[in-house]
Amino acid sequence: MSNPDMNLQEEKNLDELFHFVDYSAENAERSGYSNYSYWRSVFQNFLKKKSAVVMTFVFLAVVIFSFIALHIGKYQYTELKVDNSLAFIGSFDSEFWFGTDNLGRDFWCQVWYAAQTSIRLALIVALGECIIGVVIGCLWGYVRWLDRPLTELYNIINNVPTVIYMTLVALIVGQSFTTMAVAMIATGWLIMARNVRNLVLMYRDREYNLASRCLGTPVWRVLTKNIFPYLVSVVILRLALSIPATIGMESTLSYLGLGLPLDQPSLGILLRNARNYFVNYPHLLIWPALIVSLITITFYLVGNAFSDAADPRNHV
Amino acid sequence: MFKYTVKRLAQSLITVLAVVTIVFLLMRMLPSDYYFTEDQVIKLTEEQKNAQLEAAGLLDPVPVQLVRYYKGLVKLDFGTSRRIQSGMPVMKIMASKFTVSMRLGLTAVGISLVLGVTLGVLQARHKDGLLDGVGTVYTVFVNAVPALVSYSLILFFGSRALGLPSMYNTRNPGQSSILPIACLCLASIAHYALWIRRYMVDELNKDYIKLARIKGLSNREIMVRHVLKNAMVPMVQYIPASLLMTVGGSLLVERFFSVPGMGPLMTDAINRYDTNVVQACVFVYASLGIMGVFLGDVLMSIIDPRIRLTGKEEVR
Repeated sequence: MSNPDMNLQEEKNLDELFHFVDYSAENAERSGYSNYSYWRSVFQNFLKKKSAVVMTFVFLAVVIFSFIALHIGKYQYTELKVDNSLAFIGSFDSEFWFGTDNLGRDFWCQVWYAAQTSIRLALIVALGECIIGVVIGCLWGYVRWLDRPLTELYNIINNVPTVIYMTLVALIVGQSFTTMAVAMIATGWLIMARNVRNLVLMYRDREYNLASRCLGTPVWRVLTKNIFPYLVSVVILRLALSIPATIGMESTLSYLGLGLPLDQPSLGILLRNARNYFVNYPHLLIWPALIVSLITITFYLVGNAFSDAADPRNHV
Repeated sequence: MFKYTVKRLAQSLITVLAVVTIVFLLMRMLPSDYYFTEDQVIKLTEEQKNAQLEAAGLLDPVPVQLVRYYKGLVKLDFGTSRRIQSGMPVMKIMASKFTVSMRLGLTAVGISLVLGVTLGVLQARHKDGLLDGVGTVYTVFVNAVPALVSYSLILFFGSRALGLPSMYNTRNPGQSSILPIACLCLASIAHYALWIRRYMVDELNKDYIKLARIKGLSNREIMVRHVLKNAMVPMVQYIPASLLMTVGGSLLVERFFSVPGMGPLMTDAINRYDTNVVQACVFVYASLGIMGVFLGDVLMSIIDPRIRLTGKEEVR
């Protein structure tokens, strides 16, 4: 028999829960606010992947250590002397930490110097490819009359084997770090440009761009504000993948004698010098292989993780 | 279809011509001293040099040389080699080399198709399982680590643990081709496995597979009759190109194991300024590359009746 009481209580509660709101001009004008920020979401998503974060730190540690290593090493690269009596000392020697090569030179400073050379070359080439590739790719996709000539140019450059081209560059211009970097950028932008072009073609005629064009948005603004955000994940992925690719290409070319000059040690040149010895003296293979693989695998994994994180479709 | 083929062939011909002409002109940019060995440069008098160049037709104006070159091209006559094997017709030199390359290459393509497709199918079948993980680690390793490093590792373990010869031996090619073939397979197995897995996983998520399951097809039947068949379509496109490219050999592998194949021929020729050999090589590489893509497209349209080539062309 407590029904009337219940009803009374419920009525009271409803009064508390629901009440009329007065019209307020201020509230009516207030717009919705979301604290979504593209780059914050990218980093949040990226930080969720523990393996990628760990790898990033490993990479940074390797880079920083390569500088420290050159300082704490007992020999300077420029002061290395050929001394056949010291040849082929194994690793973990108190004097030569990574041992010595076939000419009795300290291997520690050669390996770390080579690692630095490779990282520097790879970063420069990746950045150059990225800038040229994105600019040309945007033009290629956006400007209709450029499509045909650029496609033909792409087919032609893509069909000249890189090796011929690098050999000719080495012969005509000579071998140096700058030449190598410029020559690699000059062919490397192709892949980036093609990827960007295909994406730009996809997005350029979407309705929102049509609307934007009708409203008189200048072309560069359509490209940078409307289309570029969609390209970020692809660009980052290519950027990250081009670093291992560049290091690999550099080692191949240097091994073939077409890359860096012999006095600038790089992975390819170390392995080229060691080719006939490392079966018997494995430290000549293991140290350069270990360090360079660490760098390339790191970039590969971090790049993949970051491009997943940078894809707006994966954001909440 | 016929009209398309003719048009496509004509386009390919133009591209090949453009590539060949560019390389021809690049080679003509080199100073004429390069055409002689260092001894000859010192010993021979100017007149003798000029007489030799005259005899080889290198003193004529460039357009005249170019026309003569095109005439030879029609008859597939690339003249004689000057430096690699003096006086020998270029075609003969190449014929002796490409059989070696092709034997290694075709074996490698065969092995890697079988192993790569099997690995990819198993990975897709047991997605997220142990085997999938192992396969992914393998593909990441192969893609990220520079080829030179992984070849060195293969060489090291192959000759250390298995006692295989570390150099190619022309008299006993059987055993000494094992390591070069292993190196050639390494990357392509990963490539095939990666793409087969990706295409199969894409197929597996489609609705018709659900229908097939509902109507009671066994897992094996779904995999073989539906998924693999559809996943093979995009793969098939690359098979003609990879078969044709075996003619060209692999520069790095052949140099690494001292295989007397096509791979190192071109760089040797460029380094010794043997223009006729270089031009022949470029012609062969460019036409094989373009033919490969063309045959791939045709093969794909034969296997998959849904694909019609006469539609709008796109850059891939």
